[in-house]
Order: sequence, then structure tokens, then C-alpha cells
Amino acid sequence: MADFLSGYSIQYWLESCPQGYLEETEYGHKAGVSESDLILGDDLLREQAIKVTTQMVVGERCALAASSGLINAAPDEAAKRFLATQTLDEARHVEIFTQRLYDLGVGKNDLESTLREHANPNLVKFAEALLEKVEAKDFIPGVVGQNIILEGMAFSVFEMLYAGNQKLNPKFAQTLAGTIADERRHVGFGENYIGALIKEQPEKRPEIEKLQKEMSYYMLATFADQFRDNDARAELETMKKRAVEAGGEESQGTWQGANLAELDPEEMEALLASTVLGEFKTRLGRIGLEYQTPAQP
Amino acid sequence: MSDPAEVHALDPESFEERVHSFQFWFEAVQGYLVDREYGHRPELPEPELTESERDRLVTVLCNYCVGETAALDGASGLIAVAPNRLTKIFLSTQVVDEGRHLEVFRHRLLALGVEHPEDEIERRASPRLREFRRKLEALVAERDWDAAIFAQNVILEAMEFSTFQMHAGYADPITREVLIGIIKDERRHIGFGENELGRRLKHHPTLRERLQRVRQELDPLVLATLEEALGELQVPRAEREDLGRSYLAAVERLGVRG
Amino acid sequence: MSAEIAKLPTEPARRKYELFDDTGFDEVPKKYRKFYRRWGGEGDPLAPNEVLCPVCKIVIRSNRELRPGDRVYCMACMARLRVAEGPDGALVGLVEY
Repeated sequence: MADFLSGYSIQYWLESCPQGYLEETEYGHKAGVSESDLILGDDLLREQAIKVTTQMVVGERCALAASSGLINAAPDEAAKRFLATQTLDEARHVEIFTQRLYDLGVGKNDLESTLREHANPNLVKFAEALLEKVEAKDFIPGVVGQNIILEGMAFSVFEMLYAGNQKLNPKFAQTLAGTIADERRHVGFGENYIGALIKEQPEKRPEIEKLQKEMSYYMLATFADQFRDNDARAELETMKKRAVEAGGEESQGTWQGANLAELDPEEMEALLASTVLGEFKTRLGRIGLEYQTPAQP
Repeated sequence: MSDPAEVHALDPESFEERVHSFQFWFEAVQGYLVDREYGHRPELPEPELTESERDRLVTVLCNYCVGETAALDGASGLIAVAPNRLTKIFLSTQVVDEGRHLEVFRHRLLALGVEHPEDEIERRASPRLREFRRKLEALVAERDWDAAIFAQNVILEAMEFSTFQMHAGYADPITREVLIGIIKDERRHIGFGENELGRRLKHHPTLRERLQRVRQELDPLVLATLEEALGELQVPRAEREDLGRSYLAAVERLGVRG
Repeated sequence: MSAEIAKLPTEPARRKYELFDDTGFDEVPKKYRKFYRRWGGEGDPLAPNEVLCPVCKIVIRSNRELRPGDRVYCMACMARLRVAEGPDGALVGLVEY
């Protein structure tokens, strides 16, 4: 265990992250790059960007609470050290996405009220299910919930957002690229480290599988709210039209083989949900857990 | 962050927003950790130590690991209790600092030929330091922000700061470089603790009495641990008196009597 | 100018200092390094634009001469200080919480 974990040391983290892909960045992007004029000059697009970024701050706050809370419960010193780097990664994500809200015009005194107003209730329930395990110092379910379910979801969502913003909003895309690089380490740790622990404690499986099912449901419900709700759907259609007008058909990029500009909201939701759930299934299978199909919201 | 013509012209709120950020931490540690491997320049040669020098150093490093693990568990546990975003983000930077300290000390033990550092730490850890760790863990578990920050960022950090400074003066070149890097991190931690408590004491003066009780309980444990470490390091008795000075100055500024 | 303002005592002009990042202090981000230097201990005198941080013993530098009442920040330990005159007439930094 300790040998494998040497690849997740703080030394490695320092060389790859602060001294690697984050070098010469400010709040996750190149200095002097600003939010796209298309978003800042269009109230609807700006409002939508605030709503999306709010979900990211909520998710990252949950990840910060979970990774820091799990350090105390970690069974060995090497896992504690990895979780220390993850804690700082998550705090950085909270900081850069909070900064994005400020860049989008949210006043510093309005931050908490903006988060309360826009936070998706299903995403909050998703976070609560995980934090309940963390509070109970239940290490294995905590790490699966955090590093496989939460991080796995974030990984795919951020990749899709990255594809959609690469041309239209390079500043946001750069911020996402650094975050995705961090998430890769986190999901890697979740899989590699937990697999061995589950083998040692197979009695934990039912509890973890129940948590996966519950969290997956709230995740799907969050996606449904974002894509299927009538108001949200209409907004998405309008936004996409404006983005295509500004940047052309190719402006929204390609993700999972699909041109995002050509997908309607239902298709986008289905693509995102099937990608994330497919990833869960594969990852859980690798660590010896049986994927549980969640109820459909 | 734009380049300020005069940093002291910032208003206090902007200053705090800057210094408690990941961005600040990130740019600060770049200065002294770049080109270091496990806290020192990789080209530094391993010193020739006598068996008894090596043995004493191993004991001291094992106890540093206990202190750093206590700080890692403490700082991470406090993130959930921290009252606001800036405090949470600052504590996250402290968590990774503490994790790094644990890692570099452990790596030093390996370089000194200790094959199983965890077993060695278990064997050589001071009972008083373990007791301190248990008490700190209890304060964190009770979500007692003020007492836990006092125990961790004022008492433990100030003591570590002084011990590492004194040890650096006597240490072999590799251990010295490792310690100097850690001291630079500790400056942020003790400053954060003192400022956070100073602000809270200003608004809640009754808190002072409670912190005095915490101090009375923890002081003997920390002072005895220090004495043990300095004995192992063979620091002349006359010089040991200086050690508690920075800690005593900090508690005096906060008005927390022993 | 009103008579009221005309009566106010005028503060002698402060000396200006050009600061350079040349002291090897590496504990804060590059852009702030010129505002700090390491203290050499008791025999290291402080210039009129410098004051010692009592929390972490780093010398804080300003690009102007410091006077009692000025506010300065120590970025090495994140302390906010108010400059005051010490018992021996030298400037000292008092922590403000």
C-alpha cells in the first residue's frame, strides 16, 4: 500500500501541480485573461453562468468538507498525506469558482445569498448523503462517495463544460482544465487505494452500494433540474442559439463524439447521465463493488 | 492580483482576502520549495553521523512526526468547524503544509536507515506528546474552535517553531534545510492562530479565562516534550531558556496567562 | 483654504525609499518580497522605513519613512500592525486584531 501511495506523495503533488500545470496561473487561468464578452454582455448567459458556477461551488465545498473530514479517519499515514493534498485541491477549486462568481458580477456581500438562491436542492441532498458518512468517520464509504461518486461526476461534468467553453470562453476552459487534472488524481486514488480495503472488509459492500445508489439518484435529479425543467430548457435553447450565432456551429465543441451544438437539452442530459453512470459502473466493478441502478427522477 | 505600489496601503479586508487564499500560498511556497526534493536540495550529501548521533536524531524525528500528525489531524478536522470561507481555505493550505512536514520527516527517517518508520515512531514517541495529541483531538472532536485553534496554532505551532529553529542551528546540512523550509510554513500558521484568536478575544473577552484553563492543562505536556527533545539534541541548558520565549510572547500579547 | 485647516500643524515631509527585491527573502509571493527582509538579530539596525514584526521576527519595509500611527502588514505571518514609539524611542510594531 505504502509503495503504491508514493506516487501520491506531497512531493509528487508539488512537482506536478503548483510547480507544474498551475505555474504562472492566477485563480486557475493565465493572468490577464477575462470572462468572455459574449457572457458578460448578455444578461441571460451571465445569469446562467452564475447558476452553473453556483453548483460547482456547492459541489467543491462538499468535497472540501469530505476530504478534510476523512483525514482523521484514514487508516494510515500515507492516505492522510494524499488526502491533505486533495483537501488543498478542493479548497483551490472553491476559491477559483468563487472568484468566477465575482468575475461574473456577484458582489462579495451577496455571495452566500447567491449560493442559497441558486443551489440545486438535489445537489445539496447528494452532498448531505456523503457528509453523513464523513461525519460518522466511516472511511471506506466516505472515500467511495467522495473519490468515485462525487469526483467521478465532477470529472465528466467538467469535461463536458470544458468542451463547450474551449472556444467561447477560454478563461473558464483554462480554469476547468486545471481542475480536471486535479480530479484525475482524486479518482485514481479512490480506485487504487479503496480496492484493497474493500477486499479486506467485504462486509462493507452493502452499505457502500446503498450509498452509491442514493447519491446517483440525487445526481440524476440534479441533471434533470438543469436540463428538463421547462424554464431551464427554454433558457438552454436560447443560450445555445446565441452561442452559435456568436461562434458558429463548431463553437461548442465535441464531447463523447457528439457535437454539443447539435444536441437538444434532453439529449445532452442523456449523454451526460449515461457517461457518468457508465464510468461509475466500470470503476466500481474494478474495485469489487456491484453497481446499483438508481431510480429515475 | 495586481502588483501593489505599497502593500501597506491595502485595506484590512483586501489584505485578509489575499493572504488567506490558495493563490497566496501557492506563490509563497514557490519561493522556497522549488528545486527541493523532500525538503532539501537533492545534491546535498548524506552526513557522516556516529551511531549515537544517528540514534538521537531518529528519536527526535519520530517525535516530530507525532507532532506533525497531530497537526495534520487537527487542521483537517477544523475545516468543518471554521467560521468562514477564508478560514477554511487557509486551513486547507495548513493541512497540506502539515502533510508535507510529516512526509519530509518520514523521508529523512528512511534516509537515515529506518526501514519501518511507523513502527519506529510508535516505539519512540514521547508519552507526553501522545497525551497532547489526544487532548487536541478531543478539542477538535468537540468542535471547540477557539480552544482547538489555541492548542494547535498557538501552543503546538509556537513550540515547534522554536524547537525547529534551535535544532536547525545544530543539525546536519540536510536536516537543517528540511527544518528551515518547515519554519517558513510555521510562520503562517502561528500568525493565523494569533490573529484569529486576538480578533475573537476582542469581541468575547470571557473567552480568555477558558483559554487560560486550556493553557494550564497543555503547557506542562508541551514543555516536558520540549525538554526531552532538547536533551536528545544535546542543546546546552543555558540556551534552552530562550526556547519558550516566542511562545510566551504570543500568549502574553493575547493576554492568556498561565 | 479655510482658517480651520490653515491652523493644522503641518507634518514634515516623509522620506521616500525605493525598495528592491534584493534581500533573498523568499517566503511571500515575488511581487511582495521587496516589502520584507530577514532580521539579523539584535545587532541588525532598522532603517526609518522598517519595523520588526513581533509575531514572526521578520523586518517589514515600506516605501516611505514610517511614523507612529501608520498601519503595516506582515505577509510572512499575516499580522496587521500599528507602528508605535517604543520605550527607547525606536519604532515598534504592535499587533492589531
